[in-house]
Amino acid sequence: MKTAEALSKARQLVEEWEFKTKTDRPEPNRLDVALTTVDDLIPIVVGLRVIRLGYLAAITGVDLGPDEGDLEILYHFCTAAAVITLRIRVPRQDATVPSLTEVIPSAEPFERELREMFGVEVSGLRNKMRLYLPDDLPEDVFPMRKDVTDQEISQSVTLQEI
Amino acid sequence: MEQRDNYFENLLAGMKTWARINSPWVLHFNSGSCNGCDIEILATLTPRYDLERFGVKLQASPRHADVLLCTGGVTRQARDRLLRIYSQMHEPKFVVAIGACALTGGVFRGCYNIMGGIEEVIPVNAYIPGCPPRPEAIIDGVVKLLSSLQAPTVCDDNQVSIDAIGSEV
Amino acid sequence: MSEVVKKKSFTIPIGPQHPALKEPEHFLISVDGEIVTDAVVRLGYAHRGIEKAVESRTWVQSLYMLERICGICSHIHAMAFCLGVEQLAGVEVPPRAQAIRVIVAEIERIHSHLLWLGVAAHEAGFDTLFMYSWRDREKIMDLLEGFSGNRVNYSVNVLGGVKFNIDDAQETAIREAISFLEERTHHYLHIVTKDAMFLQRTRGIGVMTRSQAEVLGTVGPTARASNVYRDIRVEAPYAVYDKYPARIVMDNRGDLEARFFVRITELFESYRLILEILETLPDGDLTIRMPRRIKAGETISRVEAPRGELFYFIKSNGSDTPERIRARTPTICNMMSVVKLLVGHQLADVPMILVGIDPCFSCNDRMVVLNRDRKIEKLMTWEALRQYGIDYYKRRSA
Repeated sequence: MKTAEALSKARQLVEEWEFKTKTDRPEPNRLDVALTTVDDLIPIVVGLRVIRLGYLAAITGVDLGPDEGDLEILYHFCTAAAVITLRIRVPRQDATVPSLTEVIPSAEPFERELREMFGVEVSGLRNKMRLYLPDDLPEDVFPMRKDVTDQEISQSVTLQEI
Repeated sequence: MEQRDNYFENLLAGMKTWARINSPWVLHFNSGSCNGCDIEILATLTPRYDLERFGVKLQASPRHADVLLCTGGVTRQARDRLLRIYSQMHEPKFVVAIGACALTGGVFRGCYNIMGGIEEVIPVNAYIPGCPPRPEAIIDGVVKLLSSLQAPTVCDDNQVSIDAIGSEV
Repeated sequence: MSEVVKKKSFTIPIGPQHPALKEPEHFLISVDGEIVTDAVVRLGYAHRGIEKAVESRTWVQSLYMLERICGICSHIHAMAFCLGVEQLAGVEVPPRAQAIRVIVAEIERIHSHLLWLGVAAHEAGFDTLFMYSWRDREKIMDLLEGFSGNRVNYSVNVLGGVKFNIDDAQETAIREAISFLEERTHHYLHIVTKDAMFLQRTRGIGVMTRSQAEVLGTVGPTARASNVYRDIRVEAPYAVYDKYPARIVMDNRGDLEARFFVRITELFESYRLILEILETLPDGDLTIRMPRRIKAGETISRVEAPRGELFYFIKSNGSDTPERIRARTPTICNMMSVVKLLVGHQLADVPMILVGIDPCFSCNDRMVVLNRDRKIEKLMTWEALRQYGIDYYKRRSA
């Protein structure tokens, strides 16, 4: 599928859901869809799969900072040069998103990383083991959040004295 | 080697040193590096640099190795394995830290998963700086370590102490 | 270091096995007889927390850090980062700089594929091929060193362009190296497609169908060897790939032999591309001035690393430090596929299937835990597993 065709098909698909481009200077090959509720995520992803539009390239977590308070999760689907990004904002505490693994099995490592780095719970994810972080880091330390520094993370681990 | 009174023991110790200098068996361990130093270590085994002509043999098991070539800034996951490998090596054993990350953590010093250099975890005998060091520098460092085996100093507890040396290439 | 280094004292555990030290296994493989029934991978041994660290460093410092995510493909990481940041800043990089970036990227692809060929041969027990391909690779290392001063981490990119120029002497050196390597590559292609011992370990092994490859999200030569049309240089050309198009190399067999074939044929494509760019290298500046503070915004930068698609998401908040950089490397995409692929294969094929996706090879220290009927049967080092595979196939052909 060519880039322009992909973008217009994606636009058609997401018209049912409320969306707006979030970036100030939208790039020509990108479509940003800001979802209003997490329940819309799986239906849109299924829709993209049905029209065979794109593969899941990455899942990015962003901490919007202490002023905004929320976390944002971006799902990037790519085909040719087109990148369709689904964005969801979740609160810092008790954030939950549904897992894509039933629809897209290759989402598993990205979702595991999201869980351990940002503390966003992914419901329906079968393998909840840590991916990159060491086991001796405490469960409630999420390195990629802005409210914790490198030093604090290092100090949270008590190394075994041997 | 401690001064021994017995002639035979002296002779045996001398032979051991000679064997160790002329045919050290090395073990390579990556404790969390970007692989840059590791491919340069592997390159020293390839025909252009050929570390094996110095009698150096790459081993897979810690129990057979004299020298541990270590790269990377020691991530927390790698720390336990590094300690285990070091404890499995028989005395006397020597550790060579290769690359900026192995010396101090390199550009990653201060990152939360990096302990900050091999010497944070085990004692190091030789340091080879570079990012990554050239194969010639690695050979230079290893050869310098081996030649210093001929002139070790004695200290307490019957331990061999070799002043940490650095490669200048 | 300015502070005085204190003498450290260590308490080293006595004895070979210390109960407090847990054995960090990389692979947990369950077997039933000789057949693998399940495989789990544990990562994190080279996790350095780079995405966190760049949030407290300037854009320029981040460049030097991102180059060292991987020593084998350091240039392409820096290039993806620079392309993204230049896009955010709205800066147009001079065409000569972009062309030099692409030349170095293709040279890096050549070095990476030759490195992989040697490592894969070593895993199969063909140490002679390992020595030959790494010896030939030294020609590339000489080129890179002549160009930038370092064999690895050549640090050619700066934000806004490149640091080094290609002059006539270097151009001659590049042409000589390529003509030497072209001949050698024909020889390697012959080996991987005709040598009976090699084919025994690669033909029909590790087959991944096209739909499997798509569902499992594979990228790069691993995907192209299963007939998936996925190559960023072709689909979404960046830098000068629109003026000098790359031709995609695909194979429809999907087995290990196909992966060897695709990577070696890509070498020929890289040789052709480099020579084509050298013919009409545009004149001009090497860099353009970049602001210290990058305009606020988000961008996505996708490039084709030797192992597959490299995906960078870069967000700026208008200051001189990045707000968020997400570097998604290709190996994590392909790792899922190999874990699923191992199921149903022989234990002896595990080393080759893993090396077929061109993973971060340096974890030679991978530990493998074999699990039979839920009981931990044994702990193998990667070296032992590799030797197991070699001995298994030797017995079969005896």
